[in-house]
Amino acid sequence: MQYFVVFLTLFLAVHSQRVFTGDQVLRINAESEEHIQILQTLQKEQEMELDFWIHPVSVDLPVDIHVPSVHLQKVKIFLQEHNIPFSVMINNLQVLLEDEQAEMEKNRIKERSSKSLNFGAYHDLYTIYNWMDSLVTEYPNLVSKEHIGLTYENHAMYVLKFSTGGSSRPAIWIDAGIHAREWVSSATAVWTANKIATDYGHDSSLTSLLNKMDIYLMIVTNPDGYVYTHTSDRMWRKTRSVNPGSMCRGVDPNRNWDAGFGGPGASSNPCSDSYHGPYAHSEVEVKNVVNFIQSHGQFKSFISIHAYSQLLMYPYGYTCTNVPDQAELDSVGRSAVNALSSLYGTQYKVGNICRIIYQASGGSIDWSYDIGIKYSFAFELRDTGRYGFLLPASQIIPTASETWLALKHIMEHVRDNAY
Amino acid sequence: AHTVLYITGLQFVLKLTPHTPAASPSVPGQEDIQAAMPVEELDPSHYPATRAAKVAEHFINTRYGSPFAWFGSSGVKKAGLEVRAKLHFTLKEMTRNQDMGLCSAEVLFHRADERKPPQVQCTCSGAFQVNTSAEEEDLYQRLRNATSLLSGSDIPNSVGHIDPEMAPFWHLGGVASSFIMLRESNESTLLNMAHIDNFTQMETKDAQLMFQYDILLHDMVSQEILKWKLLLSWSPDGGVKVLEAEWDPKCRSCERAHLTVTTGIAAEQEMKGDNNNV
Repeated sequence: MQYFVVFLTLFLAVHSQRVFTGDQVLRINAESEEHIQILQTLQKEQEMELDFWIHPVSVDLPVDIHVPSVHLQKVKIFLQEHNIPFSVMINNLQVLLEDEQAEMEKNRIKERSSKSLNFGAYHDLYTIYNWMDSLVTEYPNLVSKEHIGLTYENHAMYVLKFSTGGSSRPAIWIDAGIHAREWVSSATAVWTANKIATDYGHDSSLTSLLNKMDIYLMIVTNPDGYVYTHTSDRMWRKTRSVNPGSMCRGVDPNRNWDAGFGGPGASSNPCSDSYHGPYAHSEVEVKNVVNFIQSHGQFKSFISIHAYSQLLMYPYGYTCTNVPDQAELDSVGRSAVNALSSLYGTQYKVGNICRIIYQASGGSIDWSYDIGIKYSFAFELRDTGRYGFLLPASQIIPTASETWLALKHIMEHVRDNAY
Repeated sequence: AHTVLYITGLQFVLKLTPHTPAASPSVPGQEDIQAAMPVEELDPSHYPATRAAKVAEHFINTRYGSPFAWFGSSGVKKAGLEVRAKLHFTLKEMTRNQDMGLCSAEVLFHRADERKPPQVQCTCSGAFQVNTSAEEEDLYQRLRNATSLLSGSDIPNSVGHIDPEMAPFWHLGGVASSFIMLRESNESTLLNMAHIDNFTQMETKDAQLMFQYDILLHDMVSQEILKWKLLLSWSPDGGVKVLEAEWDPKCRSCERAHLTVTTGIAAEQEMKGDNNNV
């Protein structure tokens, strides 16, 4: 049935003037050979422009006839006079065709939207969230979206899960956009989500990785702040929580983790851009991630993406003491950066947070490392200060492409070094 | 001519003279390096080297920056520090991606008194020879002959876009900011110009063009955004000069938010706002 409608639609597409308003499709149940012969005579009748969808062949099969509206009356009377029973299968062909067209158009738009989001542009929260849904729709066997909680202002926090099945598989966590003004971080994550979805099944390394492990990617980790950078202050960094007793809002979400909380490199002043908050995990955005990671229990890597400075760092920030896994993390970091540089020559520095950039307490990758997630890394993407947070959109795809090489290297190492 | 220099590959050679302050530094030759006293070798990718390099960058911009030449920084090769950092670096003019040759600089942080801005001395083998005089003269004449005063805003915009005609004023803002950033730098800061909120050309009677700039600086160490108002002058002959500079705190009652808890930042930052020539 559908076949004929599709055929008709194609026919329509080619001969686009023809409209089928009021046309009907009649289903005839021939009861005798005589009926068949009468119907076969009808077939030869050219005047009535009858369009047989199923030809009169035997009494065992129905006969479907598309009858132009202008001839409907005549045909029905003819069938009645010959006692040939029939029913109206399609009451108005044009309406059916239009519905079909609309459905196909909707699907085309849906398809278009996930394939053709402009990855070389910055998008607002709404657009990113819609696109995440379209990615899930397009790759339902690989990508799903999980709601891990609400923000201070009641925005949903979503993480994309890339999984080929299994249960409680070891997993890799990647978060972007925890600092609102670092737009290229979330833009890179969008591109990366698409890259993972499209490369699965084609890139052997990624495919083998996803056959063993899951990847969780949080594209906007601070939705309240991100929205605020679009509506009010492009340079906003923190969350948007209200600080009791202060006219200044927000907590630095990367000083709010339970790792040396309140120590050097974080401010106790609510007005500061590095305010650590009243206590560790006071920020619901941080708490949601903490809860998720802890209840999942199988994360082997935790990677946080920031901008700017062109750095790849590992713990600690809260102290300049080396972590026990310093040598391995440093080695992985250096090879990852070599891979990154191979694309456009972009120079990155590698080292622990405390020595490379500054001592900073309450950071996410310090927390993740201290709860046993060995492969904890933080990226600071392009550039080194010329544009800073206002990185031109034209650099999004180059940044994401080169960063992917580093991410892939780290993930491959995690895959090959189970613990 | 004035240019904007971009520090790319930095090669620090440590040369420590703790007892005698360096006279005028020359481009160190082999004999200087061999005569150096043992000092604390710095990892070139660690922040002390990065921050010192940033200060050198600001210094170079104050001396050689212009609307058509603006310096950034990258790539430290080797570093050493005691009281002063000595750096060797390759320099690049950013707007043209032009190699400027080898430079050496000495950055002295006054640890005892952080209100004193760092002292920088710098020489380059090739001199800062970027031929921008034609463009500078062209811009200067266009502005002097214009019937209305020029202004602009939101540079770069949220998505990093800059109109080509605004680019020289972006560079000019960056160069002028370097005066402030040089003065405000210490071992616990890493300053960049983040955004030009707006700029307005002012009336002048003399040969200098004058502009009022509202600028945002970003300190990577404290992560603070610092609002500064600058009054600056420029002409091809006179170069870039900052006439007045005023820090505009986030909010009157929360001035102290500007402080960080990292070592070294002192309370004097909230008292900035003087009108001295830089």
